[in-house]
Amino acid sequence: MDYIATFFSHFGSIRFQQQCAARGWQATMRPVPRDLSSSCGTCVYFSTTELPPVSELLTPELEQIVQRNADGYVELFRVDD
Amino acid sequence: MKNEQMTIIGAGAVVGIIASLLVYFGNPANMGFCIACFLRDTAGGLGLHAAKVVQYIRPEISGLILGAFVAALVHKEFAPRGGSAPFTRFVLGFFAMVGCLMFLGCPFRMLLRIAGGDLNALVGLVGFVGGIVAGIFFLNRGYSLKRTYKLTPVEGGLMPALAVVLLVLVTLGPAFIRFSAAGPGSKHAAVAISLLAGLAVGALAQRTRFCMIAGIRDFVLFKETKMLWGFGSLVVAALLCNMLLGAVTGSAFIKLGFAGQPIAHNDALWNVLGLFLAGFACVLLGGCPMRQLVLAGEGNSDSALTILGLIVGAAFCHNFGLASSAAGPTLNGQIAVVLGIAVVTAIAWFNTKR
Repeated sequence: MDYIATFFSHFGSIRFQQQCAARGWQATMRPVPRDLSSSCGTCVYFSTTELPPVSELLTPELEQIVQRNADGYVELFRVDD
Repeated sequence: MKNEQMTIIGAGAVVGIIASLLVYFGNPANMGFCIACFLRDTAGGLGLHAAKVVQYIRPEISGLILGAFVAALVHKEFAPRGGSAPFTRFVLGFFAMVGCLMFLGCPFRMLLRIAGGDLNALVGLVGFVGGIVAGIFFLNRGYSLKRTYKLTPVEGGLMPALAVVLLVLVTLGPAFIRFSAAGPGSKHAAVAISLLAGLAVGALAQRTRFCMIAGIRDFVLFKETKMLWGFGSLVVAALLCNMLLGAVTGSAFIKLGFAGQPIAHNDALWNVLGLFLAGFACVLLGGCPMRQLVLAGEGNSDSALTILGLIVGAAFCHNFGLASSAAGPTLNGQIAVVLGIAVVTAIAWFNTKR
């Protein structure tokens, strides 16, 4: 499955991409799609067959995780503040 | 993806035409929009500095904030947030303004100066790109001002409310508000035209995330060209509109060359260093001065603080002789730019994980 994770900072994306690489997932950093946010930050597109619980992926700068599908995006997690 | 690119190209063209028309309606040459100059003029209009030639509360500023505010409300994107190193952002805003007023224009005006044939702006562009690359150096090594947090709607609504107050002041013109009788501050379109232009550009910028920093940053980081096409369409549209206006009115809206450009100087080194400082500070802020106005309209109180930093920076620039003029940069300004590069580098260094 394909996912996108957005972050509060560019460095959050870098760290998450490294985390994905360590798990053997394909992951690339890109600008955040306009449909996901009015922020112009960076995000990580990543693919994995099975997404672990978000608590395992949580970093202080993670904002949201969405699943990409043919119709658009399905929000799986958004930080509650 | 293609749709988004076409939207950005279209928005860039509309913004370029609006900027060119604002000059026809009375704004200074090559200054249909300049966020740095307009915040500086607004600071003067409020009596925060004593430079009599640059005092006018520019309705475009209020329009940009309110246009973004309304667009964000309509699309359910008004999201009051803040708390990401607000005072650091104030200081970065301050020095971004020092850099802009060394060059005599923000990145937006840099594009409009290029469209008006001012080749000094192309020189400045080199410094601007250099500043962005310097910022990216730190971004890739862990620079962060930490996350924002959700705030109350009242907090997020204060900057749009202030924009309304500024509009009331410029419209009613009470005795304590200053209006330049000569110089760039005396040149302006009618309030309604300026406001409408600001509203339109603010809404477009909110929908497209138009930002002079993000375009170059994303190209360097990801080879992403969407926003660069928007810059290109803005310059081409403003250039064509300038040519058309010149042909119709018989006045010169384009002057190709380095010397004698309107509200500009041709000291290459300081044009480069000025926009280097502005680009560097703005990458660390996450957006150009126009983007800060748009984000403040969306309810971001960190961007509101950045705007205050820009305004205070403008007041300092004119009270202490830091701003350049057509005669060139001042010694005070040169010292301030060097100091600014040192301060911004220190901010980047101390906020980078090692």
